Amino acid sequence: MKSVAIAGVSLRRFFRDRSNVFSVFLFPILLVLLLGSMQGGASNPRLGFHVETPDAFSTQLLEGLEGIDGLVVKELGSEEAAVRAVERGEIEAALMLPDGYAATLQSGGEVELHYVSRTQTEQLQGINTAIGSVVGQQSTILRTARFAEENGAGAFDEALAIATEAQMVLPPVEVVASTAGEPFALAGLGQFDIYAQTMLVLFIFLTTLQGAAALVQSRRLGVTRRMLSTPTPARTVLFGEGLSRLAIALVQGLVIFLGTWLIFGVDWGNPLLALVVLAVFALVSSGAAMLLGAVVSNDQQAGGLATMIGLGLAALGGAMFPLAVFELLSTTVWRVAHITPHAWALESFEELVGFGGGFGDIAGFLLILLGYAAVFFTLGTWRLRAILTR
Amino acid sequence: MGSDLSNGNVLECSDIRKTFGDFVAVDGVGFHIGAGETYGLLGPNGAGKTTTISIIAGLLERDGGTVLIAGEAMDPEATAAKRHVGLVPQDLAIYPDLDARENLRFFGRLYGLRGSELDHRVDEVLDIIELRDRANDRSDEYSGGMKRRLNIGIGLLHHPTLLILDEPTVGVDPQSRNAILESVERLGEEGMAVLYTTHYMEEAERLCDRIGIIDHGTIKAEGTQRDLVQLVGQRDRVRLVATGNLAAGSAALGELPGIDDAAVTAQGIDLIVENAHDELPEILSVASRTGVSVGGVDVDTANLEAVFLHLTGRALRE
Repeated sequence: MKSVAIAGVSLRRFFRDRSNVFSVFLFPILLVLLLGSMQGGASNPRLGFHVETPDAFSTQLLEGLEGIDGLVVKELGSEEAAVRAVERGEIEAALMLPDGYAATLQSGGEVELHYVSRTQTEQLQGINTAIGSVVGQQSTILRTARFAEENGAGAFDEALAIATEAQMVLPPVEVVASTAGEPFALAGLGQFDIYAQTMLVLFIFLTTLQGAAALVQSRRLGVTRRMLSTPTPARTVLFGEGLSRLAIALVQGLVIFLGTWLIFGVDWGNPLLALVVLAVFALVSSGAAMLLGAVVSNDQQAGGLATMIGLGLAALGGAMFPLAVFELLSTTVWRVAHITPHAWALESFEELVGFGGGFGDIAGFLLILLGYAAVFFTLGTWRLRAILTR
Repeated sequence: MGSDLSNGNVLECSDIRKTFGDFVAVDGVGFHIGAGETYGLLGPNGAGKTTTISIIAGLLERDGGTVLIAGEAMDPEATAAKRHVGLVPQDLAIYPDLDARENLRFFGRLYGLRGSELDHRVDEVLDIIELRDRANDRSDEYSGGMKRRLNIGIGLLHHPTLLILDEPTVGVDPQSRNAILESVERLGEEGMAVLYTTHYMEEAERLCDRIGIIDHGTIKAEGTQRDLVQLVGQRDRVRLVATGNLAAGSAALGELPGIDDAAVTAQGIDLIVENAHDELPEILSVASRTGVSVGGVDVDTANLEAVFLHLTGRALRE
């Protein structure tokens, strides 16, 4: 229970500093929101659709677009509203049909479709292809009907009905798609998913490592030595200090986990296993904080080093640029990234979220992370004990 | 708190040795303290006082020697022995961002106090250190003296058998210093054994029943203040500001036992005596009988500063 008292007083001091509440809990979630919004995500592309007076052809075009798998079509009330929605990023592009769309087509006139989009992205390419496909299909039917009418097959409306029917009856050309190599890990992830994982890993490690400064401060204040003058074994004092770091890491991790899950609908795969990964990574971070707190001599030095190491390992370990990108760039970079515990934690999340993995799929990663925690804690407590009693 | 004081000693240490690399910090220190006794470890900065008490408090591993607190062997893992010790370190060892009550409650729990016993004892200590009114203010808002008192209060929480105070008045204003010294005197009177380190001679003289003079990691001499003074042959000096038959007075006073020398000066008569405090009534009586009219008396008692200088060849504050 004495170690709980030691951890409790550290937590009280930590939360008494209001700035910690912002930097530890709110800032990571705001970053997930910001980065996720900027990215736009790998979610379904959204196309605005507007026609002044709906008619049979415009309805057919709309239905054709709505029938495309993965394309979200939103009907908008005016051209201005459509353009504004594109400007605000609410939709990626908008297609606007002129008044009298069907009548012009039936009379054989040319129709100009008004298409507005944001700067070219991968998603826009998909929308362009979808529009081209549906418009092309409608155009083919119209040209067929026109050709039939001109060659005496009947009135345009009759020819159009026959052409439409024929198009539905004719066997479609099927493109069979298959994939080569491993599936791309980021495919299918929501716009906030990847950032929720990376920010969780980055901030748990960074914040916990910065706790090393509190450890050094406690030492420099003479409070740690005074604790050792009480009937409290050194191992209890060290365990209490480690426990406080772990508690902060776990609370922060839980807030990010629950916040991104409930607010942004982030997919964490199997939530219980995701929490296990979180807990083990928190343990690694606490061990690293103990080690840093044991080897530096003043709290400013500890704070500076914690920021450098925390951000450096995050960048190297895939918490700033996804590991999948490293893999595409160079196998060597990918291997170097796995020197860091961050990479193994992110691999675990990727397995859970990207591939629906279970415990067996992440057990190896968890063992590696536990190995890091054991090494950090052993070195940290050994060094601290030596400093305090020799 | 149970303790083995069968031989009357709360602390017994002998032949304590500690080196840091090539530097010998403590070299064969040994002494004992009885219940209700205040023992002063007097020495200049760097003499080995803090290292010695760190070993006695179980904070440092020693290279050799033994330390027994109430019959229990002390080392860094000796929780049984540590239950008897209250340590007041030289530097403030408190959390500045916690208030006095929070600091006391925290350390109280580490001393094993719980529940109502903890609440009660915290209130008692707040009264002893006179911080009850400011108990809920952050301690970094306290004056230097208040912080020192809180630092001492933490060491008293668990009613220790032995209280170790390491230079508790360093950097304290005179008023707070006096309050601290009064508290230590009171604790001694209440039966607590006190180990008090200082480099202020007047504090040692005022508080300590026995004094160990430490320098370069060894105890140079030990005993009561009077023992130490006599050990090095120091004498008190009494100056009588007087008129009348000075020559006769001087001759008569020189014959008294306990007076080593008597000489007539321009102001009166100067005497070298073994113990001014004991001899003064007789001196005044003889002077009066021999026709000397005494208008004033100056007494310079032999002090520890002189003893220290004699033993170590350097002044206490060097």
